[in-house]
Amino acid sequence: MTEVARIDQGDAFLRTEDLCKAFPSGNGTLTLFRDLNLTVRRGEMVAIVGESGSGKSTLLHMLAGLDRPSAGAVYFGSTLLGKLTAGQAAAFRNREIGYVWQMHYLLPEFTALENAAMPLLARNMPKNQAFAAAARLLDEVGLGQRASHRAGELSGGEQQRVAFARALVAGPGLLLADEPTGSLDASTADSVFRLLTQLHTAHQLTSILVTHNLDLARRCDRTLRLRDGQLQQIPVAGMQPDQTPPESTADTGTSNVQSSCVRVQAPGPA
Amino acid sequence: MRFELFIASRYLRARRRQALVGVITAISVVGVAAGVAALIIALAITNGMRRDLQQRLLGSTAHVELMRTAADGITHWRSLTQRLRSLPHVTAAAPAIYGQGLISRGARSGGALIKGILPAQERTVSSLLNNIREGSAADLAPSTNAGTLPPLVLGSDLAAQVGAEVGSTVLVTSPQGELTPFGLVPKYQRFRVAGIFHSGFYQYDSSFALARLADVQHLFSEPDVVSVISFKIDDLYRAAAVGREIEAAAGPGFMTTNWMEQNQELFRALRLEQVATFIIIGLIVCVAALNILIALTMMVMEKTRDIAVMMSYGVLPSQIRRIFLYQGLLISVIGTAIGLAVGYSAAWVGGHYRFIHLSAQVYSLDYLPFAPRWQDGAIVAAVALLVSLAATLYPSSSSAGILPAEALRYE
Ligand SMILES: Nc1ncnc2c1ncn2[C@@H]1O[C@H](COP(=O)(O)OP(=O)(O)O)[C@@H](O)[C@H]1O
Ligand SMILES: [Mg+2]
Repeated sequence: MTEVARIDQGDAFLRTEDLCKAFPSGNGTLTLFRDLNLTVRRGEMVAIVGESGSGKSTLLHMLAGLDRPSAGAVYFGSTLLGKLTAGQAAAFRNREIGYVWQMHYLLPEFTALENAAMPLLARNMPKNQAFAAAARLLDEVGLGQRASHRAGELSGGEQQRVAFARALVAGPGLLLADEPTGSLDASTADSVFRLLTQLHTAHQLTSILVTHNLDLARRCDRTLRLRDGQLQQIPVAGMQPDQTPPESTADTGTSNVQSSCVRVQAPGPA
Repeated sequence: MRFELFIASRYLRARRRQALVGVITAISVVGVAAGVAALIIALAITNGMRRDLQQRLLGSTAHVELMRTAADGITHWRSLTQRLRSLPHVTAAAPAIYGQGLISRGARSGGALIKGILPAQERTVSSLLNNIREGSAADLAPSTNAGTLPPLVLGSDLAAQVGAEVGSTVLVTSPQGELTPFGLVPKYQRFRVAGIFHSGFYQYDSSFALARLADVQHLFSEPDVVSVISFKIDDLYRAAAVGREIEAAAGPGFMTTNWMEQNQELFRALRLEQVATFIIIGLIVCVAALNILIALTMMVMEKTRDIAVMMSYGVLPSQIRRIFLYQGLLISVIGTAIGLAVGYSAAWVGGHYRFIHLSAQVYSLDYLPFAPRWQDGAIVAAVALLVSLAATLYPSSSSAGILPAEALRYE
């Protein structure tokens, strides 16, 4: 039984269709994914693991529309991301996607409150409203008392909490977290992860978490491994990290050799 | 709009990770301010020069002068003056006779343009007689104190040149000469220095001498003629047109000149100077704009990742562009405001206290005049803003072109 078979399309919150990404590298091309298919249901929390350089960050970029696939498509519900104009895509990101990274990436010139309010300020919401919403989120991530601190005045864990507040302030449905605990010590990482799961539930998010930490990955609904340009599902039952699961079917699309990557490579989609 | 300004103004104020960017930003503000201030001051000076020169010139020169084309003297000048005075736009008219002479006192002498006048009428067309510094011009009135030496009023620099004071006797030699049984001998006459005028206009102060009309006619062996009739008119800038009307009314054989024509060279030079000043000092503003370009370009590089993150939460490239555009404009507006304040203050102080002195021989004026105009400020500010705007084009468009996936790939 494959994922594809199990999930009916109406249930899919986020779906990729034969996603391909290739870069010109040296005198050849580096193909990161080939016909990558991923379906995430509403409310799911999916972990993606994989070796460094396997393309996890690139995948998240494409899911957020920050990068364009060489071929294939990303659907949010019935919205085809590649069809949106730059302005529509930006508005979509602003409302629908929260993004956190390994580094907090807060703007150093601004306070925690201002940083958390940025996505709302960017759509020109009046400052008092934006700050009120940001203050609520800072409270929620446990930093209500630190609202007026600059990013540099906060600890690593606190910075990451502000980053979560910023990611969620606009009320997105999808949270993309690219190794959010990667630069934190074990106990801080654990508390940030717990925050993530809390927020996931409280805000009814659909979350995709890239992590190196298999313990954390195991606490998600599903764990996928990105390897050789494909996503493979790791069964929940105590998997050895590098053991290929018997049914490696994180939505393997067609394994047709005549891949769309090869076909569409040169011009790429508009 | 609000968002962009919020970010831009904070970026401008914040202490930087790279101190160099802050230093260059400060330099660009100072540069714009210096350029604008220098332009305001320089334009105030050239404008003051023109204004003061014009004022003095018009004090000492008639607006329109009528003379014979053949330089043979105007014979029926009394009736002609009377008649032309009643023309439209003409407010005053006065006859005068000119002659070139040598004024000497002992071993010292100087060439002079000796002008014979009727003071009562002369006062209505020129203010030379109001600028008597020593003595008085009262004696120039016709037919007073016959028997004593005829009176002469000298320009201050001319008086200094020949070493004459009020009460001195000077010898005036006419090059026309007189035919005597001994051949042609220069004609000379002794005059008494009755007053010294100072108009502040070097050409006049160094070469003019005023005497009674009849005395000058006599000196130059002329019959009862005058060389010019001078007019004051109601609109300075219509001098040419009124001049033509006067010519027509005076009949054939007459021509007119006006103050603009006579001082064309001077005013053209002043205008040229103003343009040259604007261009040269404008270069300071261009250099400042170059600093804006560098500061912003470095700032865009410094902020690349932050820009990518902003794009990840939906900030549009056009918004990013405006952030840096506003930043450049903020630098320029602040610099321009400081420059205007400094420039106008300096021009006001300079004009009020006249503490910079000039050599009158070179500049015609013995102090540096300042006449700041608000129009100059508006033009200078507009130029500074436009040049700065041009400087922000490259950095702001490069900021908008940042690819978020590229910028977020490393680290
Ligand atoms: N624009 C690009 N041009 C060339 N190579 C790229 C580009 N973007 C990513 N890569 C390469 O793709 C690979 C995957 O990168 P990344 O998605 O960051 O991996 P991960 O996040 O799994 O460590 C890396 O080897 C990287 O060098
Ligand atoms: Mg990565």
